[in-house]
Amino acid sequence: MVSNPKELIPIIDELGYVIEEELATVLFLMLKLEKPLLLEGNPGVGKTRIAYILSKLLDYELVRLQCYEGLDVNNAIYEWNYQKQILAIKLHEHSGKTTREKEDLIFGEDYLLKRPLLKAISSDRPCVLLIDEIDRADEEFEAFLLELLSDFQISIPELGTIRSAFKPLVVLTSNRTRELSDALKRRCLYHWVNYPSMDKEIRIIKKHLPDIEERLAEQIASYVDRIRNLKLDKAPGIAETIDWARGIALLNGSSEAMVQSLACLLKSDHDIKRVMEDIF
Amino acid sequence: MDHYTDYSSFTGALIGFVQQARSHGFPAGIQCSCDAVATALHGIWWDLEQFEFALAALFCTDKEERERFRAVFDRFWKPKGSRVRQKTEYKNQKRVFQQQNRIAVMVGTGKTTESENSEESRNTSGANAKETLKKTDFSQLTEEQSALLDELAEKLLREMSLRIRRKRKKAKKGAIDMGASIRKNIQNGGALIDLARLKRKKQRYRLLVLLDVSGSMDKYSFYLLKFLWTLKSHFKHIEAFVFSTLLMRITDEISEKNLASALRNVSQTASHWSGGTQIGACLKIFNEHYAKRFLNGNTLTIILSDGLDTGEPDVLEEAMQKVRLRSRKVVWLNPLKGMQGYEPIQRGMQAAMPALHHFGAAHNLESLLILENILTDA
Repeated sequence: MVSNPKELIPIIDELGYVIEEELATVLFLMLKLEKPLLLEGNPGVGKTRIAYILSKLLDYELVRLQCYEGLDVNNAIYEWNYQKQILAIKLHEHSGKTTREKEDLIFGEDYLLKRPLLKAISSDRPCVLLIDEIDRADEEFEAFLLELLSDFQISIPELGTIRSAFKPLVVLTSNRTRELSDALKRRCLYHWVNYPSMDKEIRIIKKHLPDIEERLAEQIASYVDRIRNLKLDKAPGIAETIDWARGIALLNGSSEAMVQSLACLLKSDHDIKRVMEDIF
Repeated sequence: MDHYTDYSSFTGALIGFVQQARSHGFPAGIQCSCDAVATALHGIWWDLEQFEFALAALFCTDKEERERFRAVFDRFWKPKGSRVRQKTEYKNQKRVFQQQNRIAVMVGTGKTTESENSEESRNTSGANAKETLKKTDFSQLTEEQSALLDELAEKLLREMSLRIRRKRKKAKKGAIDMGASIRKNIQNGGALIDLARLKRKKQRYRLLVLLDVSGSMDKYSFYLLKFLWTLKSHFKHIEAFVFSTLLMRITDEISEKNLASALRNVSQTASHWSGGTQIGACLKIFNEHYAKRFLNGNTLTIILSDGLDTGEPDVLEEAMQKVRLRSRKVVWLNPLKGMQGYEPIQRGMQAAMPALHHFGAAHNLESLLILENILTDA
């Protein structure tokens, strides 16, 4: 593997992600220290992409857990396949098995539905575990994650403890809609992902749209930069910039096309009005 | 020792730096020191910039800390010539501190000795006196009464939080727990006769309090702040802000166990105490910077203000609508409402009214205790 963060930059660039030295250093450290990485930043700055890039870089499987309010252990780790269990009980009604045997049967691995966390832990290949938008999950779930992140093992009362053969690489992302607990943060490397600089954004646009004219890319990046400074309800992220660039390219790249395809960039009536007044 | 040249070995300097960071409030534990050394062992130290990136990832836990980290790092690791800048910064800090101290005195947190009279009056007060005290307008309180009121408020709030907790516990049965039901019914051959139920999920709600500390609120803001502190010690999820012409988050300041030091903390940081009122502008700032973090659609927002806004009513109206969209309930408590014949006809109040779920008074303890009903529903 690489011996210096700087060596990571061209490799990751090759994979289609424009990376800065700071983030490259953090990723390098994550690989060497085997610590989870917590990425915070505004929506649409490419936090989730980093996990995908990591899995591509190392050729690991990517396991993704999307968090939401009310996410519980059943949906994150495992659940018993109840329908199958009921059927099994019915099938074995007259088989002469004892209750004990029946219980062992229906609480076997065949009847277990693996959810992302258990999948990542019990995988026989190393994997990248992406826990997306952790700030949306409840605090109880966060507390549970703590245990997982320190031991990488899960106990299922009916089956016993499952330990991971390979420690998964964990990437957590958060939009900072609420503060995460200090205990969780302490276990992770932390990196704040900022909106890209204009120069970086130009490179990103060119990466995704290799045929785009240099001048148009610059123009787009400079507009987006100004739009972000407007304090809109929803500032455009990188994905929106790329969509916009694509839209403009499709509509022959004229300056009218920029206005016509604004819908790619801005997602609220109020914002579009602001931008039309202040910038165009 | 605050520079790497003060240490004889690199590891020593690194440990010294961890300690330095700790003293600057970074949550750097022992694990952190180990990781820092491991980082250096991987060769990330000869490039100073890279070294900063790596240590920042280890030491910082949010964006603000990341911004602060640079200065601490530079002071320790950059060659000594470049440290002049920090010294002047320090001088400035000192001046700011003195200024804040003045404000603390102004607010009245300087006094710590309790007058002897209050001891006397405490002994003579009965149930009736307490009832009267509950109804006394904050602006009419004498010093002795004020001390008594603190005690009473503390007691009543404690009872209130207990009642709320109990009411919440007494909730209905939850949904059917399939897993547990099957296990329970194996002996019946799988026929689901006896159902197991889930416990109903505890409702998570948050409380956000925005307290007006502008000049027109002077008579009340001090008591309301105390009330806020008491509330904070009984309800876990409270975020608190004060505003006048500026908006400031004081959640950490009022988390202090000791009331006097909590108040001192607040007055030291709130330089805009007794200023003008720009409710709309402050709420706008709140919406821009904090709303996404603190309002999650399940938040009870309480605004404590007299609504005498000097800003544009349009700004206030729009900001209030946004707060309403993100909150479960918006409550405005206005000390002026305690006056006889008060009508919310000021421009500011008029602009805010459509966004409110509840509009109440906040001029005495009794009016604040009515919050119980709102807090229970929340």
